[in-house]
Amino acid sequence: MGRFIARRLLGMIPFIFLVSITVFLLIKLTPGDFVSNYAASLAASGETVDDSMLADMRTRYGLDQPVIVQYWDWISGVVKGDFGYSFQWQQPVVSLIGERIGLTLIMSVSTLFFTWAIALPIGVYSAVRRYSWGDYFFTMLGFLGLAIPGFLMALILMFVGVSVFHTDVGGLFSPEYANAPWSWERVVDLAKHLWVPMIILGTSGAASLIRIMRANLLDQLHQPYVDTARAKGLSEVTLLIRYPIRVALNPFVSTLGFVLPQLVSGSVIISIVLNLPTAGPLLLQALLGQDQYLAGAFLLLLCSLTVFGTLVSDILLALLDPRIRYQ
Amino acid sequence: MGNDMKYTSRSGIAMIPALLAFAVGAPGLAHAFQEAPMLAAQVSQGKLPPVDQRLPQKPEVIKPLDKVGVYGGVLRTAVRGDADHNNILKLVGNQGLTRWKPDYGGAMPNLAESWTANADASEYTFKLRTGLKWSDGAAFGADDITFFVNDLLPNKQFFQSPPSQYVINGQPMTAEKIDDSTVKIKFAGPNLQFPNVLATPLGQHATLYSKHYCAQFTPQYNPDLAKLLAESKQPDWATLFRQKCGDIEIPARWANPARPTMDPWVITTPYTGGGTQVVLSRNPYFWQVDTAGNQLPYIDSVNMKVVSDIQTMLLATIGGQFDFLVRHINTINNKPVLSQHADEAGYTLVELSPTDSSAMAIWPNETEPDAKLRPFMQNHDFRAALSLGIDRNEINDIVYLGQGKPWQVGPLPADKFYNEKLGTQYTAYDPATANKMLDGMGLSKRGPNGMRLLPDGSKLFVSIDAMTADTAAIDVADLIKKQWAKIGIDTGINTMERSLYYERAQNNSYDFGTYAVPGGLNPTSDPRAILSTHTLDSRQSLPWVKWYASGGKAGEAPSESMQKRLKLWDEWKQTGQADKADALFKQILASAADAFEVIGTVEAVTTFGIRSKKLMNVPASMPNGWDYPNPAPTLPATYFFVK
Repeated sequence: MGRFIARRLLGMIPFIFLVSITVFLLIKLTPGDFVSNYAASLAASGETVDDSMLADMRTRYGLDQPVIVQYWDWISGVVKGDFGYSFQWQQPVVSLIGERIGLTLIMSVSTLFFTWAIALPIGVYSAVRRYSWGDYFFTMLGFLGLAIPGFLMALILMFVGVSVFHTDVGGLFSPEYANAPWSWERVVDLAKHLWVPMIILGTSGAASLIRIMRANLLDQLHQPYVDTARAKGLSEVTLLIRYPIRVALNPFVSTLGFVLPQLVSGSVIISIVLNLPTAGPLLLQALLGQDQYLAGAFLLLLCSLTVFGTLVSDILLALLDPRIRYQ
Repeated sequence: MGNDMKYTSRSGIAMIPALLAFAVGAPGLAHAFQEAPMLAAQVSQGKLPPVDQRLPQKPEVIKPLDKVGVYGGVLRTAVRGDADHNNILKLVGNQGLTRWKPDYGGAMPNLAESWTANADASEYTFKLRTGLKWSDGAAFGADDITFFVNDLLPNKQFFQSPPSQYVINGQPMTAEKIDDSTVKIKFAGPNLQFPNVLATPLGQHATLYSKHYCAQFTPQYNPDLAKLLAESKQPDWATLFRQKCGDIEIPARWANPARPTMDPWVITTPYTGGGTQVVLSRNPYFWQVDTAGNQLPYIDSVNMKVVSDIQTMLLATIGGQFDFLVRHINTINNKPVLSQHADEAGYTLVELSPTDSSAMAIWPNETEPDAKLRPFMQNHDFRAALSLGIDRNEINDIVYLGQGKPWQVGPLPADKFYNEKLGTQYTAYDPATANKMLDGMGLSKRGPNGMRLLPDGSKLFVSIDAMTADTAAIDVADLIKKQWAKIGIDTGINTMERSLYYERAQNNSYDFGTYAVPGGLNPTSDPRAILSTHTLDSRQSLPWVKWYASGGKAGEAPSESMQKRLKLWDEWKQTGQADKADALFKQILASAADAFEVIGTVEAVTTFGIRSKKLMNVPASMPNGWDYPNPAPTLPATYFFVK
C-alpha cells in the first residue's frame, strides 16, 4: 500500500507540470490581455484611461514579453511557493486565494454533508420501497431539483426573502459580522446565512445522488447473497446496512475525485448571485479580466485537487472493498 | 485674463435649478466651527486637535442645497466585486484643484481657492487654501503638487510616457513653488482646457499624492528603499508606490487605509479581491464647512456592500438596503421596477440626465477589410441610405420605452455647440428613398432571397458587432437587421464577449460596431464620434486613429474630410483664446456633419438612480458621466439623514 501511494505521488509531478503549461496557454489563448481588458472594462462603463498609462502597465506587468518568458516567470515562482501577483488587486495571489478558500471549504463541506444526509436515506428508501407512493414523491422532488437551475432557485429565494420577509438573504454574514474576528456570535451568524446556499447547492446534487443510490441498491437487492442472508434469519435492517448498501456505496467513493474540485468551482454562478465571499466569483473575475497569475493559480489548484482527490478515492475504495485491494 | 476666464468656456445648462454651492472666503465668521459628535469625543480625549486647528484658516463655505444638516448616520450603497473602483472615486475621491460646478457649467475653485492664467493660457498660478491638511493631519501645500509634477510626472520609471492630459507640444507640464500655498504650472504651449481637465478624474494626480507619506516609496527621497522593496516583495519602486499610494483609476487606490487623502471620507475597510464590503469613515481634517460653520461631511461613514451580480444589486435596492445608488442599476428598463417599489423600500428616484449624445449608434468601418464592400462603406450616400432605412421610432418605443427621440450624433440642443444638421440629418424613416439611393449606386441587382447583390454579382452581406453585456446594442441591432431587410441589406449580428469585441476593433476586422456616443454635453472632452482620436472606441476607423496618433507613420490615411478635422483639432488644442477655440470646434462639427460617418439611433435617455427618502441635499437630477464624475460634484459631503 505504501509503495502504491508513493508511486502515485511521484507520478503526479510531471502530470501537474503538464497541467500548468496547458492552463497557462489556455489563459493566454483568449483574445487580448489583462491591460486591454482593463481598458475595455473601463470603457464599457463610459470611463476612459490614458493610452500611455496602458502601455506603461503592459511593460510593468511584463505582458510585452513572449509567452514562454511569462510562463517561466510564473512557474519558477510557483515551485518556490510564490504564485505571483494579481494585476487587478496589486496583491500577492496567495493572500487573495487564502482569504476565500476557508469560507469556500466551510460552505462546500457542509453542503456535501447536507447532500449525503438527505440523498442516502432517500435513495435507500426509494430502492427498498420501489414504485411506492413515497418513491414517486421523492423521485419527482429529485427531478425537480435536478431540472431547476441553481441560479434561478437562488434568485427566486432571494426575491421571496426580500419581498415577503423583508430580509437580506445574500452573503454569508450580516454586515456587523462581515469583518469581525471569529467569535461564537459570528459562527451563529454564519450558520443563519449558510443554509440558503446549502439548500440551493445541495438540491441538485442530492437529486442525482438519490438516483445513483437507488439504481446501485436495486442491482444488489436481488443478488443471491441477499437471499442467502435473509434465509439465515438476518433482520432486514441489519442485512441492508451490512451488505448491499456497503457495495452500493462504491460509486460514491470513486467520484470523490471530482467532488474536491467541485468544492471550489461548482458553485460559481450561485455564489455570484447570492453574493457569497467564496472562491468562485474571484476565479470568474480573474478569468474574465485575464488576471493571468490569479486565474492560473486557481486552475492549477483545481487540477491538483482533482489529481489528489482521485488518489484519495482510490485509497478509500481499496479500504472499503477487499476485491479491489487484491486485484 | 483673470477670474472671468474661469467661467467662459462652458455653457450654463440649468439641469439643477439652483447652484448647489458657491465658494466664498468666509470672511470673519464670528462663531467657532462645530464638528461631529464622534470627533468631539476624540478631541476631549486628546486624540485629535480641536476643530479650529484642523480646518484651514478660511475653509470653503458650502451652502447646502436644501438646508443645513445634522451629523450622523451611515450611507449604505453598493460596489461591484471587480473593476468597480471608479465607483468609489465618483462618490468620494474627486478632490482636484478645481471641481465642476454642480450643473456641469464649467470649473470652479476646489482645493485651489483661485487661479489666474497668463495671456496665452500656458501658465497657471494656483492659490491654494491656506492651512489645508491631509487626512492624517499633515499640511497640504505647494510641495505636494511639485512632488507629483516635477518628481513623478517626468520620471521614466514612473510613467514611461506621461499621461496626455498633462502634455502640450510633447512636453509634460512643470511646476514652480511660489510659496507654501501658491504654485505656478507651466506648459510648453497654450492649454485653455486645463482648469476643466483638473476637474475631471483623470486630471487629479497633482492632489492625489501626499509628499510626506508617498515620498518614502521613491528612490529620490528614500535611500533605504531597497529594504522596503525587499520586505514588500515588489518588483520595482513604481509598483510599490502604486500599491501604497494608488493611481487615479486602479483598485489599489482604495486598498491602503494609511494613505492620506483630501477626501471627505477615508478608507477603513479596503476594496480588495474577495472583500464583502468597503467602509469609509469621515476625514477629521476635511476642509469644507456649511453656512452654519459645521465641518463637513455630515454623514459619519459610507458602507459599500460588495455585490457581484447586477440583478442581485437591483433586488437589494428594491429591498430597501441602500440609501443611495446611481450606478449599475440605472438602465432604462429598470425604471418600472424601481418606481414600483419606491414607497415600500423608502426611496425616491434620482434623475440622471445623460451627458452622452446618442443612446446607441451604428459605427460603419470606413477602413472596411472586405475590398468589395469598402467603397460602399466609404460612400456618404450608402451610409445615408442605411440611416434612412432605420425606423428610429420603433427602436425608441421598444428598446428605450419611448423615452428618447430620433437622433444622430453630436452635441445636444442644450449645449452651446449644438449643430442641427449633425444631430438630425437622415433621421426620418424613408425606406423608399433609401431603396432609390441604393439602386442608384450600383446595388440594384437582387439575389433570390430579395437581398441586394454587389455589382460583381456576389452577395452583399454586412455584420454588426455587439458585446453580449451590452443588451441595448443587441436589441437595437436586432431591430435594425429587420428594418434593413426591407431595403434589401442582408445583415448579420455578431454578439461576442467584451475582450473579443475590442480585439476585433484593434485588428480592423469588423463591418459595423455598436456603441453609445459620448459628447452630448461638453463635446470637446470626448469627441470620439467626430474625430478619430479615441484609441479604443473611434470605431469609424481605428487605422485612422493609429495614423493620427503616429503622426502619419502607421495606420491608414483618413478621408480628406477627417484629415481636415484633425488639423483643425490640432489648431484648437494650440489656441489660447476661448472664442477662437469655440469657432474652430464649430468648424469641426460642421465638417463632421457633411461627412456623416456615425449613424445614431436615439438620443441618450434619462436614467434613474435612487436615494433614501431620509437622505437630504441630494439634487433631484444630476448629469451622469465620467468627465463629470457624479455624484462627487454635487458634494456628497453635504448629504445628510433627517431623523
